Amino acid sequence: MNVSRRAFLSRASLGVALAGAAAVVPGLSAVLKLPAPSTAAPRLPLNAEPLVAHVRDLASGEVSLMVGTDHVVLRDANLAARLYGAVFAPQSKER
Amino acid sequence: MSSHREAPAIAKDPVADSTDLYAFVSPDAPNTVTLIANYIPLEGPDGGPNFFEFGDDVLYAIYIDNDGDARPNVTYRFRFQTKIKNPNTFLYNTGPISAINSASWNRPQFYSVTRVANGAETVLGEHIACPPCNVGPRSTPSYAALAQSAIHNLSGSHGKVFAGQRQEGFYVDLGSIFDLGALRPFQNLHLLPLPAVPGVNGTKHLNVHSIALQVPIADLTRDGSSRFSDAADPKAVIGVWTAAYRRKAIIRGDGDDVESGPWIQVSRLGNPLFNEVIVPMSKKDRWNELPPTSDSTFVQYVQHPELAKLLPVLYPGVFPNLAAATGSRDDLVAILLTGIPSGIISGFQNFTGTTLADMLRLNMAIVPSSSPNILGLVGGDAAGFPNGRRVADDVVTIELRAIAGVTYPLVNPGFTPDGAAGLIYDIQDPATNTPPVSYLSSFPYLNHPESGFDVPS
Repeated sequence: MNVSRRAFLSRASLGVALAGAAAVVPGLSAVLKLPAPSTAAPRLPLNAEPLVAHVRDLASGEVSLMVGTDHVVLRDANLAARLYGAVFAPQSKER
Repeated sequence: MSSHREAPAIAKDPVADSTDLYAFVSPDAPNTVTLIANYIPLEGPDGGPNFFEFGDDVLYAIYIDNDGDARPNVTYRFRFQTKIKNPNTFLYNTGPISAINSASWNRPQFYSVTRVANGAETVLGEHIACPPCNVGPRSTPSYAALAQSAIHNLSGSHGKVFAGQRQEGFYVDLGSIFDLGALRPFQNLHLLPLPAVPGVNGTKHLNVHSIALQVPIADLTRDGSSRFSDAADPKAVIGVWTAAYRRKAIIRGDGDDVESGPWIQVSRLGNPLFNEVIVPMSKKDRWNELPPTSDSTFVQYVQHPELAKLLPVLYPGVFPNLAAATGSRDDLVAILLTGIPSGIISGFQNFTGTTLADMLRLNMAIVPSSSPNILGLVGGDAAGFPNGRRVADDVVTIELRAIAGVTYPLVNPGFTPDGAAGLIYDIQDPATNTPPVSYLSSFPYLNHPESGFDVPS
């Protein structure tokens, strides 16, 4: 597999983020044992409006996503964990 | 007050706070109904430099139910957009605003009107101009002409619209009524007595922002009927309420707020004083979030209103019959939640069915009164509240008297109202039939706003 340096660093960062999150978020380790999300690439709009994500409950993986007046509620523990992980990752200093 | 700052959460969000709702057959155009939804309570006329305006980030709506299920059959939606002509001045106006499109008005506001019926949305108007606030004689000379130019016809013969500042038309002795239920003219009889004095209109010299429509009756009825000859015709009755919405999420900062998600209801109003006086404080915010179809969960507060229990305590010995009454106040349930069925009041009904919902119910078959009584139906004038609501109706006195028991015999013939129940009033004796506010004789009926220069707070 031909992996670019940028892609490699990106995946490495995600790994660090998830590991960091598992260390600081209670119950997250159990969450991370859940199946990985689908990797099918969705069709994305060219001029996307801002997306707001709201992790209502990390333990259940309930995530609210809002774009425009659309609102979907997902139960995706992996996504919830990745979002938390991004916040608690060491490089996430802008708070 | 009617619904001004009536719940803890919306009291902190005045731009989305519905204050009063009116619905009546237009006295000077009886083939139409006038609908007025007021927002932004207690505007001090001298509110510069940032004078009051509708919220660009708020969705305002007026709903019509014409088949009795408390769900909207016709909806009017309003969205506002504010412009800044000169970004380099702090001034609301840089000279006299002599016309509604004056270049001197630095912060004009515009709006769109959308009608939703039968699943179809129709834009009835876009980029419609509001009038400016009434700043004073230098800034807004000839205010009446300015306001007149802000009355616009809607497309497709769907009536006309006005949205802008108006003088507060609702009157109440605000300082007294919330001082432990005191009525100044009768406060010598209060548990904590003071000498009786005339009432005071606490909303005098204040303004409000009105969204007013005057639409053909045929636009509101379930079958397109434009007139009714029989007051008993159920198709003649509509239920009306207003609501305001904000987006579910807002991200502040970075120079420009980002809003996202669906519209969430933050304010609702049908009958005056329902959420204010009937619903307990712990549930008021929740009530504002709910549709009228949820109002059955609040029926116990109508059947056994707290105020009916308080009156005999606050006025010892004045309401002995009310104190002894323990039954369900089904008269209030009818007035507020179902409408009054046929057979209760001769020649009148505004019953929408058994669905319990706080809606302002208007029987459009009742022609406008040539000599209106501000006590409406309890004053023998079936064209007034609670048959819809006209701008001058003394709804505080009407509801005070109803809760005190004057309407209880309609459903409980064995009950005799206390003598005081038919005599109490809030500001001035309604027998004079003279409201303490003046109004216009034509659309939008609510008077021109007080000017900031002439009436400083």
